[in-house]
Amino acid sequence: MKRKYGITGIISQYSYIFVFIVIFIAYAMTSSSLTWSGVMNIFRHSAVVGIIALGMGLVCITGEIDLSAGSMLAMVSGFSVVVYNATGSIPATLIFALAFGGICGLANGIFVGGMEMPAFIVTLATMLIYRSIAQYVCQHLPKALVGGGSSMYKMAADKDTFQSFYQLGNGKFATFPYVGLILVIMTVLLVYISTGTKYGKKVYAIGSNQKGAVLAGINVPLVKISVFVVAGILTGLGAFLWVAMNASADPATTGNSYEMYAIAAVVLGGISMSGGRGQCLGIIFGAMSYTVIDKIIVALKMDSLINDAIKGVILIVVILLQIAGPKIKGRLASIGEGG
Amino acid sequence: MGLLKMEHICKSFDGVQVLKDVSLSVEKGEVHALLGENGAGKSTLMNVLTGVHRRDSGFIEFDGQAYENMMVSQSEKAGIAFVHQELNLFNDLKAYENIFLTREYVNRFGRLDKKRMKKEAEELFDRLGVDIAADEPVMNLKTSQKQFLEIARALFFNAKLLILDEPTTSLNQEEVENLFDTIRRLKEGGTSFIFISHKMPEIFKLSDRYTVFRNGEFAGTGRICDTSPEEITQMMIGEKYDAGEMYDKRETGDTVLDVRELSGDGFSHVSLSVGKGQVVGLTGLQGSGSSEFMQALFGARKITGGGSSVFGKRLPGNSIHAAMKAKVAMLAANRKENSVIPDMSLLENMYLAEHTLSAGSFHIRKRQEEKKFNSYRVLLNIKMQDSAQPITSLSGGNQQKVFLARWLNTEAGILLLDNPTQGIDVGAKAEIYKLILELAKSGKTILINTLEIPELQKVADVCAVFYEGKIVKMLKHEEIDEEAVMMYSTNAVSVGKEDRQ
Repeated sequence: MKRKYGITGIISQYSYIFVFIVIFIAYAMTSSSLTWSGVMNIFRHSAVVGIIALGMGLVCITGEIDLSAGSMLAMVSGFSVVVYNATGSIPATLIFALAFGGICGLANGIFVGGMEMPAFIVTLATMLIYRSIAQYVCQHLPKALVGGGSSMYKMAADKDTFQSFYQLGNGKFATFPYVGLILVIMTVLLVYISTGTKYGKKVYAIGSNQKGAVLAGINVPLVKISVFVVAGILTGLGAFLWVAMNASADPATTGNSYEMYAIAAVVLGGISMSGGRGQCLGIIFGAMSYTVIDKIIVALKMDSLINDAIKGVILIVVILLQIAGPKIKGRLASIGEGG
Repeated sequence: MGLLKMEHICKSFDGVQVLKDVSLSVEKGEVHALLGENGAGKSTLMNVLTGVHRRDSGFIEFDGQAYENMMVSQSEKAGIAFVHQELNLFNDLKAYENIFLTREYVNRFGRLDKKRMKKEAEELFDRLGVDIAADEPVMNLKTSQKQFLEIARALFFNAKLLILDEPTTSLNQEEVENLFDTIRRLKEGGTSFIFISHKMPEIFKLSDRYTVFRNGEFAGTGRICDTSPEEITQMMIGEKYDAGEMYDKRETGDTVLDVRELSGDGFSHVSLSVGKGQVVGLTGLQGSGSSEFMQALFGARKITGGGSSVFGKRLPGNSIHAAMKAKVAMLAANRKENSVIPDMSLLENMYLAEHTLSAGSFHIRKRQEEKKFNSYRVLLNIKMQDSAQPITSLSGGNQQKVFLARWLNTEAGILLLDNPTQGIDVGAKAEIYKLILELAKSGKTILINTLEIPELQKVADVCAVFYEGKIVKMLKHEEIDEEAVMMYSTNAVSVGKEDRQ
């Protein structure tokens, strides 16, 4: 990639911000009563998918993919509810969610990084496995642990800490939702890891030229396993937030298509699916752009079933501009020179 | 009668001019040898002819028609076929399917007419006198059979001009004879050949005329019967190489690299002992094992037997990281594939290897890295504007200097350089030779693998000649010359005058 100078360079390098601004302006115009808390709600509703997308971004930078994120969210959040119901402890639930997510990611990573199996297939398989386990266990655990529900994991409301847990998911710090704050902190952390550390450079190098990375002494299997573990831990954190926000997890629907939204946010954020290119900062804007689209549809009182169609169209348009734009520009320039 | 006329062809890549006003003409029914050292511009000219690259200026006429902008499809249609060194066959398809690919016969229902294709392929193989079963999958064929298959494919569609790029490198003597017989027969029939080879005896046996390039420029042309191998070699080499012009004898220190009976995929029972500050050349024909041996020392290729020690400590094989920790570094061949991280800046590319050794400290100290980079920029004379510019914006020579800096930065004591001057221009080559000698003087131990003998004459204290995976001869500095190296690397001491017509 040639270094980009000037206004056009900045626009194409930070296209995700412009996409977000355009969508946000559309929202401001369609929404009759745009309020501060409405804007803050964008952070709240982007939190879970945004945090999953950060992990997905790291995986995509190495040139791999993780299709299991949505199912993993369902399983980890379901089991986290069980852990909470058994212990009544918020820290124990958090530690469990992070550790269990990390283990699920490790499983993906060992197959992809260690055994060199294609990530698409491996995570497709674990996607099926994780959700199926979530649904099976829900039916076969004692009712007290699952929360008394028939097909859902429900947090026991009679625990002492229930209110504070729920408050974590739905409360605000000086009008800023806690979960949004966690999203911002995680984004800052991931931006630092990807750009300011030696580990981050290795992740990019593997996605850019794997053979070159091997010959520069990088332990490619290990780095690949590690990005899947990081993605798993972030999904675990997402699951913890999900539980805090909803006080329940439905193994059949929680996290449905979240892997796809996460991938879309990553792509919208400017990360190349073939690896090696893009910035983690873009991911939060990609995730928030999608949240705003949801809100526009609500504001316009449209049928929410059209939601995914609009998201899909926007994804195609943005990628078209990113990919076809420079080509068209190049062609126009060469015609200009020739004539 | 003229078949091909290329005149005043110029071509440059990224500001480096690789063809400067070169010309080539080929008659109908002749074998025309195209000669030059690696990087002289032969392949580029052939790529211009077949439409892979667009020329910057010049004139091409083929079979009476002038071509403004030769395209791949046009050159195919006109009857030009390029038989590449790395064969362009589809391994999963059968022999006859490869011949008819994209031009299959179909019956009137649109179904493939396999019977007819198979029959015609068999007839063709018979005519060429090659032993290939038409429905054998290509992956089961020997390299020589694949070579014939490529030629057969070209001929089937009435190629008037076949470009053969070092077709004999992977063939044995009998297969070479067989190929030459076929070429002679086709020549009688009016087919023309451009024959690219480095093997003088073969050129003198087979060719009618020759053209020599040197550094992208035209160096001479004429009839083979009017010249001698010595004269052609002189044309190829020119005045630029005075053996020993740079070399200057040094004292070498104690043994720092000791290899005992090392074996692996592509080489076996290699023993070598190298002193501190010594420059050891490794050479041999392609596939002789010298490059493979180097990769194994670096841990990038599996070792099956033997061992080596560096600086008195045993080197655990099969791990690049362990080799790097033991202060061994390798500048890999094929820069684009093995060294360049295309999405990264100069600074990032340079620091990648050092980072794997200093992974204990997590944070990147950018200012410190910039400072270090700058000192290497001065030391190696890297021509650049900004350490944040992408690696792909530099010329090959400057890229190579960045990678040299990458490994110097790991503070390695033993540098393995695999074909370090591949695809870089003459000026940068000379700079790299000078650097190698300076590094050796400062106590670095250097192994350099190259096919270019003049390069070894400039830098190497000793030269190990590889043949079929083994070192067949250690030449002292003053013994290194093209003839001696060629003699040992083909392991055919007696092949010489009687082969010349």
